[in-house]
Amino acid sequence: MRRAIESDVCIIGSGITAAMVADRLSRTTSAKIVVIEAGDETVPLAQRAAMRERFLRYGENPWGRDHLEGYEVEGPLQSRSMQVGGLAMHWGGVTPRFSPEDFKHRSMFGVGSDWPISYEELDPFYQEAEELMGVAGEQGPRDLDPRAKPFPMPALPLTYNLELLKAWASRAGIAMWSQPSAKNSVAYRGRAQCCRNDTCSPICPVGAKYSPDFTWSELRRANKIRLIPRTLVRKLVLGPGGTTISHAVAVDRDHPEQPVEFHAKTFVVAAGYTWSSHLLLLSAQSGAPNGVANASGLVGKYLTGHRNVQGFVELPLRLYPGMNEQHSLVTKQFMRPKSGATFIRHDLRVWESSTGRAPRLGDDSGALMLGDAILDDWRARVKTGAARVRAYYDVVPDRASELTLDATRKNEWGDPLPKLAFRDAPESVALRAPTEDSIRALFANMAKAGDGRLLRTSVDNFQDHPAGGCRMGNDAATSVVDSWGRAHDHENLFVVGAPTSVSGSCANATLTFCALSLRFAHEIEKGLPRRR
Amino acid sequence: MLSRRSFLSSLAAALPLAVLVRRAHAAAVIHLESDPATLDALAAAVLPSELGRAGTIRVAREFRDWGANYRENAELVHGYGTSRLRATGPSPLTRWTTQLDELEAQAQNKHQRRFRDLTVAQRADLVRAALAGQRLDRMPSVVDANHVAVALLAHFYGTPAATDLCYNAQIGRQTCRPLPAQARKPLPMIKLSER
Repeated sequence: MRRAIESDVCIIGSGITAAMVADRLSRTTSAKIVVIEAGDETVPLAQRAAMRERFLRYGENPWGRDHLEGYEVEGPLQSRSMQVGGLAMHWGGVTPRFSPEDFKHRSMFGVGSDWPISYEELDPFYQEAEELMGVAGEQGPRDLDPRAKPFPMPALPLTYNLELLKAWASRAGIAMWSQPSAKNSVAYRGRAQCCRNDTCSPICPVGAKYSPDFTWSELRRANKIRLIPRTLVRKLVLGPGGTTISHAVAVDRDHPEQPVEFHAKTFVVAAGYTWSSHLLLLSAQSGAPNGVANASGLVGKYLTGHRNVQGFVELPLRLYPGMNEQHSLVTKQFMRPKSGATFIRHDLRVWESSTGRAPRLGDDSGALMLGDAILDDWRARVKTGAARVRAYYDVVPDRASELTLDATRKNEWGDPLPKLAFRDAPESVALRAPTEDSIRALFANMAKAGDGRLLRTSVDNFQDHPAGGCRMGNDAATSVVDSWGRAHDHENLFVVGAPTSVSGSCANATLTFCALSLRFAHEIEKGLPRRR
Repeated sequence: MLSRRSFLSSLAAALPLAVLVRRAHAAAVIHLESDPATLDALAAAVLPSELGRAGTIRVAREFRDWGANYRENAELVHGYGTSRLRATGPSPLTRWTTQLDELEAQAQNKHQRRFRDLTVAQRADLVRAALAGQRLDRMPSVVDANHVAVALLAHFYGTPAATDLCYNAQIGRQTCRPLPAQARKPLPMIKLSER
């Protein structure tokens, strides 16, 4: 027998952007909100210290069974994790904003695409996201790091190590500051102050790092939403005429024999860069032969992100690795290329490091050490310190940077799994070598300024903070959603967060995904009854 | 009374592999708990002398505890950028108890004494002989260590206490510590004699 669940708003996915939308709509409207999550409930806060302990001791996944069986996909899936709260249950909590230049690459630098919105338009939604999750931050130089209002929390203090490294960067002519983070520098909204457990990613044992489960707990406790886990949405079905979504068809993983339909006035797809496009493509039907919201043929296209060049620098500094390993310095100094110069653009972060300074078994000649010899050798090698430096750089996505349906791999309900392939646009291919050379030269100069030595560099081929697949734009022929997240093809369908990004910037992108989602929520709420 | 080896052999004949592996792990736990002296003696031979007798015994006890609480086929933390799942492998404890037995046998063969009764230098020599020919440079993870002596070292040197000992500083890596204190240079370690 078929089950039908009715609501005003049906949100598909329960990750961080879904939490932003649900929080906003439940504050401003009296709409009946249903949230559907394919994965299981997450691990309660009270159990996280014990789960973390097993992670530290044995490397075990601290999130229990946070995945669906049979979802081995081809291509670089960011994470296999699927649970209430999504990937932000184990994110690093790093929350820089994009810079104003990110939104106008084509008009400023002649590469990539402009976004249909500006930084200034997004600023209030950045602020709203920062206040909702609680971001601790230090104001950078205002011309590089503009914001209309202060951070909601004081910055995380720099460690003794980072203070030394900041002075080193300054000698190299680089102004750096405390990386903004969704970690509590003071107790915030009922959550504890950070006590630097060093395992922000994958698990914060005290709740000092924001994760979406806190929002879900609050909303569920107040009976403002209904969150249904273990239910996988398989298809969006068009209403008569094809201009609206009528309902979503899902499978209850506990009762797969009994299909579930979700009927709503508004549908919000908030399932991240992979599963959002995947669902739209799976929803091919009469009236939408290439998938829902896909008249442009661009669903799944223009997957974007950024690569990084990383280096390790030995410095004549006595550092104490382990004071707060995941916190870093950041600068936006290199995110504004000179006009007319080659488009080389990147961020820069600096961490304490223990590279080359770990205890070892064999000495320089390869002879085995035992007893005091190991400790003596270790002590001799920590007299100098090391820093990790890393720069994310922009990658302009190609149209063929895409998610497609993989006819050769299906889930247990017979739906094809996604296949992911990231590709640089030709202009980005041409920029790759000069960009990476420039970053390596910067690292070498930094080492020299500190009387140090660049030990090694590497390039991570994986594109971090992946996004795209439902890019936003004003032209229905060249984008999937408008600048408010509304599908060009269906008036009651919104896509929020990462998939709508036009480009991936050269900085961690989660805060931007959240700000976009809150902006879209402001549009979604217009059609809903206001809360009195 | 059956020896541990005889006990395991009789089990092998009667039980499915998965059950056998679980019971072999349990037998190894019992073996180490009931007779910790060989492991304690090994700890005193390979760990830094600064730990003192009480310190090396404490590390050996924590190592046994690590082994006893090991879970086979537990899901490992997800890799980044891949959908592949990974799980923990077989318990290393059975291998380690066998290697302790072998050190004991070598002590008898070479010195006609129990391993625990040898000098630290004699015990270290037996460990060196057991590890001869193996490529040993980096400290491996505990579970990847190919010998119980290396696993014990990897276990100790992976702890926050080892880092503090090395730096002679109260860094307290991976432990809950006041946030404002991170702006200060870590305080030096307090020696027992100064308490």
